[in-house]
Amino acid sequence: MIDIKLYFAILIGKIISYTIKIFRGGATSAPGLYALKIDPLLIKKLSKQFKYGSILISGTNGKTTTSRITADILSSKYKIIHNRQGSNLIRGIASTLIQQSSFWGKINSNLGLWEIDEAVLPEAVYNLRPKFIALMNLFRDQLDRYGEIDHIREKWIKTIKSLKEDTQLVLNVDDPGISILAQYHKGKNIYFGINSKKINLPKILQVVDVKHCLMCGSSLIYSTFLSAHMGHYKCSKCNFKRKNPDFFAENPVFKTDFSTSFDLCNQSDHFQLNYSLPGLYNIYNVLGSIAIANILKINSQTIITKINNFTAAFGRFQKVRIKDKKIIIFLIKNPAGANEVIRTISIKKTINLLIILNDKIADGKDISWIWDTNWEMLSTKIKNIYLGGTRALDLAVRLKYSNINLSNKDIYKDINYSINNLISSLNNKDTLLILPTYTAMLEVQKALFNVDTKAKWHNQ
Amino acid sequence: MNTYGDNGNIITIVKRCQWRGIDVKISNVSIGQPLSASDFDFFFFGGGQDKTQIIVGKDLIQKAKKLIAAINNKAVLLSICGGYQLLQNYFKTKEGEIINGISLFDAYTAGSKERMIQDLLIEIDPELQNEIKNVYPAIEQSNCLTNLIGFENHSGKTYLGKNSKALGRVIKGAGNNNEDHTEGAVYKNAFGCYLHGSLLPKNSHFADYLISKALERRYGPIKLKPLDDSLEWKAHNWMVDRVRNQG
Repeated sequence: MIDIKLYFAILIGKIISYTIKIFRGGATSAPGLYALKIDPLLIKKLSKQFKYGSILISGTNGKTTTSRITADILSSKYKIIHNRQGSNLIRGIASTLIQQSSFWGKINSNLGLWEIDEAVLPEAVYNLRPKFIALMNLFRDQLDRYGEIDHIREKWIKTIKSLKEDTQLVLNVDDPGISILAQYHKGKNIYFGINSKKINLPKILQVVDVKHCLMCGSSLIYSTFLSAHMGHYKCSKCNFKRKNPDFFAENPVFKTDFSTSFDLCNQSDHFQLNYSLPGLYNIYNVLGSIAIANILKINSQTIITKINNFTAAFGRFQKVRIKDKKIIIFLIKNPAGANEVIRTISIKKTINLLIILNDKIADGKDISWIWDTNWEMLSTKIKNIYLGGTRALDLAVRLKYSNINLSNKDIYKDINYSINNLISSLNNKDTLLILPTYTAMLEVQKALFNVDTKAKWHNQ
Repeated sequence: MNTYGDNGNIITIVKRCQWRGIDVKISNVSIGQPLSASDFDFFFFGGGQDKTQIIVGKDLIQKAKKLIAAINNKAVLLSICGGYQLLQNYFKTKEGEIINGISLFDAYTAGSKERMIQDLLIEIDPELQNEIKNVYPAIEQSNCLTNLIGFENHSGKTYLGKNSKALGRVIKGAGNNNEDHTEGAVYKNAFGCYLHGSLLPKNSHFADYLISKALERRYGPIKLKPLDDSLEWKAHNWMVDRVRNQG
C-alpha cells in the first residue's frame, strides 16, 4: 500500500536532517519533531517491521549507560536500531527511525532499542508496543521539570496496566518504587538486584524518596541500604517485600582506578565480571543489560566479554588524556547520582576537583539538590578544588558549609578559563576529576577539545 | 518531611551556630513519635510529595496542641511548601478533597492546575526588615537586607486570612498564589513560605534572625557574633540581580 503521508514525513525529516548536518548542528530532535507533525503515526508504522520488536529502557539514572551496554551486547546477534545520540523523547525516536529508514520507509534492523525519558514512557509504549521494558529506578531529579516522582510512577502504573501479557518487564528489585510495578503487570517480570549486604564504599547520608510502603502506606524496614532508597526492604505491616532477583550481583569490589568487579549470579550459575565502569550505580546498569541480553538468548560468554570491554557513554564517565595530564569526567545531575559519584571518588587518597554547576533547562533550573548532596565526605581528601558554571557561587556556599575551604580565585564562571588554568597547574602524576552538570559537560568537552584537538575521545 | 533540598536549612543553622561556638542538638521527629515540644527552640518543617504529605498531615493533628503551645511560648519555626501548607487551616485538593491543617497560620491552600516553578524574589515585610537589621551582625554594612531569594515549585495556591501577615511582597515569581503579590505567612516566630533553594544559606541575614530568636527565648536578648558572610552575599546579590533583570 502506498502511504503518501508517511513518505512525505520521512522525506521532510531527511531534508531537515541533511540541512542540520551541513550546518554542523547537533540537534537530534528537529527531523522527528517536524515529521511527526506530518504523520503522527510515523513511529507506529516504522517500528512494526522489527522482527524481534522493541526494548524500552527508562529510569531516572543509568538509562543511557544501560542502553549502550545493552546495544553493545545485543549487536552480536541482532541488527539493532538505537537512539544512541541520546535524544530520548518521542521526537528523538522518530529522528532515529527516519535516519535509518529508506525513503520508502524500509528499515534494515530487526530489533529496536530505545532509551526513554521517564516522563514520556507512556507515549513511547503506545507508539512502539515494546516486547520488553527495563525500568531502572526512580529518584527525585529535576523537580522543576517533572514535579514529583509519585506522579511519574502513577503514570507508569497506568501504562503497565494496559500492557498485554506478552510484554516482559525487567525490574530493579532493590528500588521498592520499581519492584512494586510488578503487581500491576499481567505478563512476566524478570528481576535484578544486588544481593550483597556490605560493599566497600563509605556509607553516605542520603535523602530517601520512598519511605513508606507503596501498597499500604506503613513504614518500610530496611535490612540493607545500598544507595538512596535502594536496598533490601520489607513492609512493616503488609506482605510487600523485596523479591529474590533472577540476576544478581555478589561481592562487588570498587577499585581506585575506577574499575569494578563482581560475581554475576543467577539461580544456577555464577561468573566473575571485571569492567572499567565505576560505582555502585553502574552495577545496576550492567545487571539490567545482562537481564535483557539473557532474555534475548545471548550466551553468557559473549555477555561477559562485551561487558568487560565496555567503555562508558559520552561524558557520563569519560577518561581523557590532554597534554599528558589525566582527566576523568563524571556527570552529575541529581542528588542520588551525585552522591554515588562522591562516594565513588572518595576511595581516592587525594582529589583534584573541578565541579561545574549550570542551571540551564537541561540541567534543571533549580539547584537546591546540591544541599541534598554529601560534599562533606570529600572535605579531607581535596588537594585542589575549582568551581565553575553559572551557579558557581551557590556551589561555593554549599562547599563552605561542608568544611571545604575555598578562596575567591577558585571560582570562575567561565569554564574555558578554569579548564585552561587547571590543566596548566596540574602535576603530570595527578588526575583531575571533573564533575559537570549536563550542559556543563558539553562545554567541558568543547573546552578540552580547544586545549588539545588531538585529545583522545570516545566520541558518541 | 524533606523532599527538596531543604536540608540546607538545617545545615546552615547548625554551621552558623557552631562557627559561633553555640552547641546545637538535632532531633528528627517522625510519624507516631510523641512530640515533647517544650524541649525545642527551633522547628523545621520541609516539603514532601502529596502522598507523604497526607500521612504526615494526619500525624501532625496529634501533635498540634503541643506545637502551637510551643510557638505561643516564642519557639521559632520555619516551614516550607508542604510543611507550610499543613500548618494552615486546610488544604483543598484539585479534586475537592479537604485535608485539615492545624491552623497555626490563618490561611488555606487550594490545589490548582498551574504549577508555579521559578526563581522567587521577595521584599521582606517592613516591620520584620527592621527586626532583622537590629539583629544581623554585619561586618560590612553595605549589604541590602531587605530581600529573600529562593526557588518555588508548587501548584497549591495559598490565601491568607484576616489574622495573617505575609512574610513579604513578591518582586519576581508567584509567591502564595500568583494573584495578590503576597508570599508566605508569619505568626509570632513561626514562618511559612514557598522558598526552596535552600532558603537559609541563600539568605544569611534571615538565618541569623531565626538563630537569634531561638536563643532569645532561652537566654533573653543576645548579640550574635558577626561571621564573614562575603561569599554568601556575593551569591545572594548575584542571584537577586539576575532575577530582577529577567524580563
